[in-house]
Formats: sequence, C-alpha cells, structure tokens
Amino acid sequence: MVNTKIKETVRALLVEGKIRGFLGLRGENGHIMPHLFCDPQELESLSLGDWKKAGDSRYPLNQILIRLAMEYPEETFAVLVRGCDERGLRELFKWKQLDEEKVIPIGIGCPDELAKVCECEKPFPDGLIDGPRGEKTGSQKVARINEMGLDARFKFWLAEFNRCVKCFGCRNVCPMCFCNECTLEEEFLVGKGEVPPDNPTFHLVRAMHMVGRCIDCGLCEEACPADIPLRTLYKKIADIVSEEFGYKTGYSVDEKSPLNIIEVK
Amino acid sequence: MAKKRLAVLQKLLEFSGINPERLRMRWVSSAEAVEFVHEISEFAEEIKKLGTNPLKEKDAA
Amino acid sequence: MEFKTVLSTCPYCGCGCGMLLEVLDGKIVGTLPSKTSPVNEGKLCVKGWTVHEFVMSPNRLTKPLVRKGDILQESSWDEALDFSAQRLKEIKEKYGPDSIAVLTSAKCTNEENYLLQKFTRAAIGTNNTDHCARL
Repeated sequence: MVNTKIKETVRALLVEGKIRGFLGLRGENGHIMPHLFCDPQELESLSLGDWKKAGDSRYPLNQILIRLAMEYPEETFAVLVRGCDERGLRELFKWKQLDEEKVIPIGIGCPDELAKVCECEKPFPDGLIDGPRGEKTGSQKVARINEMGLDARFKFWLAEFNRCVKCFGCRNVCPMCFCNECTLEEEFLVGKGEVPPDNPTFHLVRAMHMVGRCIDCGLCEEACPADIPLRTLYKKIADIVSEEFGYKTGYSVDEKSPLNIIEVK
Repeated sequence: MAKKRLAVLQKLLEFSGINPERLRMRWVSSAEAVEFVHEISEFAEEIKKLGTNPLKEKDAA
Repeated sequence: MEFKTVLSTCPYCGCGCGMLLEVLDGKIVGTLPSKTSPVNEGKLCVKGWTVHEFVMSPNRLTKPLVRKGDILQESSWDEALDFSAQRLKEIKEKYGPDSIAVLTSAKCTNEENYLLQKFTRAAIGTNNTDHCARL
C-alpha cells in the first residue's frame, strides 16, 4: 500500500516533534479531503483515494500551506508533494511565500495513467518517499493547436473561451496564485457584469500571468465547469518561456523567473 | 522588462490565432516627434494591409 | 492549532454542489470544491467559491431589528416575534390573507422551507409563497 511508507515517515516526524502537523489527504465515506494531521493516531485516515484518476485526489495543498504558514510562521509543517507540487514549492520559496526551513516535503510519485493524462514533464518529486519514478510524456494537446492555421486557431479559442462563466475557479484553485489584488478583478481592465468575460482578453491576461508561475498541475482545467482547455494554453506559455528565456518553472532552486529579474543597463 | 513581456505576448497571440504582426514595440522619446509620427504612420499602413482585426468582426457578429 | 476541511453542500441554488469548507482554528477561511462529489466533480460556480465570505461577514445581522419610525433598531427575539405576529394579524384582518406574501430561501433547510409554506398556507391562509431560486 502506497500509504504505509508515508505514514511511517510522517509518524516519525510527529513523534520526534520535528513538525507541527502534516498537510495531507484524509478519506471519509469515500470522500477525499485535505487535512492537517497533528496527532500520529489520525494517520489511520490518511488516504490518496483512487489516485490513478486524474481528478480524484488532487487539491492545492501548497495554497493551504501558505495560509497555515501566514498564521503560524514559526511552525514547521510537512506537506504531501507530487512532481508538480515540488515545482510549486521551489517557486514559492523564491517568491518568498513560504520559508524553506519550515517546510518538509513528503514526496510521492504519480502512477503512469495519471502522468499520461497530465502529459507531465516530471511526475515525481526529487525527494521521493513512495510511488513510481514515472516517465516524461510529451504534450499532444499543444502540438494539435500548433498544427492549425491562424484562422482555425482563432475560431477554436474564441469558441472555447465563449463558454467561460467567470467563476474564477481557475484562479481560485491555482496553488501559485497568491496576489492580494488580482488583475482580473480590476474593472477598468475586465468589465464587470459580462459573461463570458471579455473574449479573449480575460484568458489571455490570465495566461500572461502564468508566465514563470504555472507549474502545470492541471488543477485549473479540472476546476473549470465549462471544460475550457486551459492547460493547453498554459503549457504553451511554458514552451514559449522555455524557448525565449531558457527558463522552466519550478526546476531551479535559485534561478529566478525571467519576468522577476529587472535588468538595469 | 517590457521587451520580455512583449516577446511572450506576441507568441501567445499567435497561438491564439491573432496575427502577431498586429503588435509592435518601438522605443521613441518624447523629443523625437518626427520619428514618432513616422513609426505610427508606417505601422498604420502595415495594419491596413493585414485587414480587419478578427476580434472586431467577432464583436459585430 | 487545528486545520481541517469539512464536507458540506452549497447553500445557494438547487444543484447542491459538494464543497469543502477550509476551517482553521474553528473559523471558516476558504472554500474548495469537492472532487469526489458526483454532483459537481470538483467544480463550482462563483457563488459556490465565495460561500465562506458571508459566514464571517461583518454585514451579517446578529440581532433582530425592528423598525421604529424611520430607523431599524436592535431588539430582542421576543419583542421582534410579538411585533411580527401582531402586525401580520392586523394586516390579515384589515386587508385579507392575500395581501401577505412569504418569500423563502435556498439558504434555509428543507424543513424550514416546509414550515414557512405551511405557515403561509395554513396560518395566514394564502398561497402567495415563492422561493428565491425563481428570481
């Protein structure tokens, strides 16, 4: 059982008093939900759910961690991390949203089925406690759009964005979105009371904000009630950033995102 | 910084089906009035050749 | 310290989307969609996403208010209930039961909604009752 090694590792950390709590997932009545395990006995309910399915048991744990860290900055927490979460943590440390000294990642590798659905570049974290060391999958989704002509692309995206109900789910669930004031809520940039929101401005603005930020976790697309292929758009952003600046979000511990560096010549 | 953003935006626009040539960046000082007019006029001509902005048509539809 | 997520159902429309309320030290601080809920499968609308905001909102009423003259003044439950009962009786006598209407809410439980329509139909004697979902 995948859980065993995780439980053992976390139990030891709790018993030794090295962490205040472990931010992981709990199972109850078939539902999987984020939970902070502070007592080793609670670990019995640790559950990853049907973890081979893309949607099932993935939640923005880093986002919750930031909330906990803000409230309890002196405490150390352990957190369940997949490949994408680790990429997220690296960036959040650089962006000073979390303190490296206060976060202990508990790494799990994602199974093949999940990695393929995610078309994940690296479906396992470096600090791997349990789970497989999956293989990289190339992106079919982006390739398909790349093959289309300009007009076809335009029609495609306009139709996709047209279904947007402005629920802000993509932004709300994003573990990398931590801005106190969000551009998408500025009335003079994105008109209020319009559904779909300014097409394609709304989504292109969000895409631009994903530059050097998106870790390709896919939670946005899973949270979209209109099934807009957001991931395809953001994966393309990652490709562009890689081509233009040679930067890949979440792979370096100290290299800053290109839009985070202001060069004075 | 703006140059970096624009480089990304140009490619994003292209991916979204909007001709990236519709977006151009030039640095002009407020003291270079003649150059400014020249740049704008030339760009305006190029844009006209590219045809109506597809976003405009979509609004009209 | 304690952090947990509590499975709940959205109080707004009739869909009944499953959501997880993020509770930190006894206070609701955020909302996440429940990925394992068959109704919404991990998605929420903008109302669902902001459900936690009204719980701790400073705009929430914490005491009954009775209008005296032009001003709404804080009162006790007894005073508010007595006043409401008395005025409803007066209006029913003077203008008839159909002059009164009762609007219920999706934020009420099924049981509360049942009581309200029963009250409207049996106690007041009118069928002028509807629900915010139809607005």
